[in-house]
Amino acid sequence: MSDPQRPNKILRYKPPSTENNPALEDPTPDYMNLLGMIFSMCGLMLKLKWCAWIAVYCSFISFANSRSSEDTKQMMSSFMLSISAVVMSYLQNPQPMSPPW
Amino acid sequence: MRTRFGRRRQTAAMQSLFLFPLLVLLLSGASARFDDFDEGDDLVEFDDNDFAEFEDVSEDPPTEPPARTVTTEDDEDEATVEVEDNQEDFEDSETPDEDIYKYDAEEFEGFEKSNPSFNDPINILTVPSHLQNTWESYYMEILMVTGLLAYIMNYIIGKNKNSRLAQAWYNSHKELLESNFALVGDDGTSKEALSTGKLNQENEHIYNLWCSGRVCCEGMLLQLKFLKRQDLLNVLARMMKPACDQVQIKVTLNDEDMDTFVFAVGTKKAMARMQKEMQDLSEFCSDKPKSGAKYGLPESLAILSELGEATEGVMDNKMVHFLTNHADKIESIHFSDQFSGPKIMQEEGQPLKLPETKKTLLFTFNVPGMGNTSPKDMEALLPLMNMVIFSIDKVKKLHLNREGKQKAEKNRARVEENFLKQTHGQRQEAAQSRREEKKRAEKERIMSEEDPERQRRLEEAAQRREQKKIEKKQMKMKQIKVKAM
Repeated sequence: MSDPQRPNKILRYKPPSTENNPALEDPTPDYMNLLGMIFSMCGLMLKLKWCAWIAVYCSFISFANSRSSEDTKQMMSSFMLSISAVVMSYLQNPQPMSPPW
Repeated sequence: MRTRFGRRRQTAAMQSLFLFPLLVLLLSGASARFDDFDEGDDLVEFDDNDFAEFEDVSEDPPTEPPARTVTTEDDEDEATVEVEDNQEDFEDSETPDEDIYKYDAEEFEGFEKSNPSFNDPINILTVPSHLQNTWESYYMEILMVTGLLAYIMNYIIGKNKNSRLAQAWYNSHKELLESNFALVGDDGTSKEALSTGKLNQENEHIYNLWCSGRVCCEGMLLQLKFLKRQDLLNVLARMMKPACDQVQIKVTLNDEDMDTFVFAVGTKKAMARMQKEMQDLSEFCSDKPKSGAKYGLPESLAILSELGEATEGVMDNKMVHFLTNHADKIESIHFSDQFSGPKIMQEEGQPLKLPETKKTLLFTFNVPGMGNTSPKDMEALLPLMNMVIFSIDKVKKLHLNREGKQKAEKNRARVEENFLKQTHGQRQEAAQSRREEKKRAEKERIMSEEDPERQRRLEEAAQRREQKKIEKKQMKMKQIKVKAM
């Protein structure tokens, strides 16, 4: 069998553009990022501890599902926001969180 | 400055000084009350003690204490304390005098009212749990932190597992790929086209590999789509709904490498889904998926094909052999010269353009293990890779006869016509709107002309053009009518 390799026919890799096929993109990290920000703002403004904790979880989930090409600054900012929401809630009201039931 | 102890000694002395005469006075007073007709002087005269000087003041014994209090209040604090003590003694010694209570009304304000009932038992209540300050009361927070730690642990474990699986796959397939392709591994960023020799990590669960430089094809994109083992939520969801890792291979061909046909084979579920989703399959393969048993394949596989001849050509013995042996790992195989991806949902009002097509071979394989894969399972995919290479060569060699080609061309023309018909309405609207825009622009130009002469002339020109158009239309209608006749 002759060598099937053809070095002269090499084509460079082009990352598939996401504009043509939006269905292929996973929307999870973007949704989780948004949710995290909303919950952390709720936790800060309304002084709800459980909101702040859920925001921390959302930012973790967003990080786990994120693409490697995504900006780390965005991730770090959402982390910081959620952690600051938790810390501020506890500084304002050091009582332990009461379960909803 | 007198010390405290000094004060106490002094108070004791002064106490005794006052006690004795007061007692005497009380007794004398008492006797005076009982013997109303006695002369007070007699009693006084008989007092022969050292404290006789106080006898003059003793006419009103009850008034004595307040006088003393008045005088002694000027003294230091301890004096008043003693007087109080003396008064208490008085209370004990004789029957309670109402006056005494009056004197001390301010002092003992509310004393009688707030007298606690000593008979009630004392209840010691436990501090409510939300006011306690122990670690136990923070159990929700501890739960949360534990959950976060569990998530982080799962992230690290899942990421490592996916990475190991990817590496195992690459190690087992490396030789085959390197022998077939000149370029194995490229991320598109380096200046020179050199093989990187490693996978591109797109995600924690998606790995890419681009291979190029082979006869019969432009390039091959391999995607290892693992399960999201790094996301705990996904892990929990998969406990409800099991899924498996997938390897997706997309081979793009040059125009001369493939004849015109659309063909797909795979699991029944996958075929049903793809027929709805994929643009080319829905247009060219409108018949229901046929069972693979016709061509010697297991029952679980179904075939979608545009041309029967193409199916015959693809399903030769070797291919059937491949598919039968690895039927459990095959999700779908799709050969198409009109591949343009899944159907895109277009917004209304947008004039559709025919999507760009590319001659493509698509393979989707399921990794055995249904989620619980180990790196060893990756070796089982090697024969499938052989099949891919074999298919590329096969498709190049597959030539339809004249009938097949004609049929294929007819199909494509039909599809294009349908498309044009569908978009006809939209295109007409677009043309109409364009014409209206032109008219409006012209009118504006006419209106904006300052010179009235020019205005009139332009108006006349526009009117003439309109007339001509109408006449043309009328002529056309007449011609059509004549032809119909």
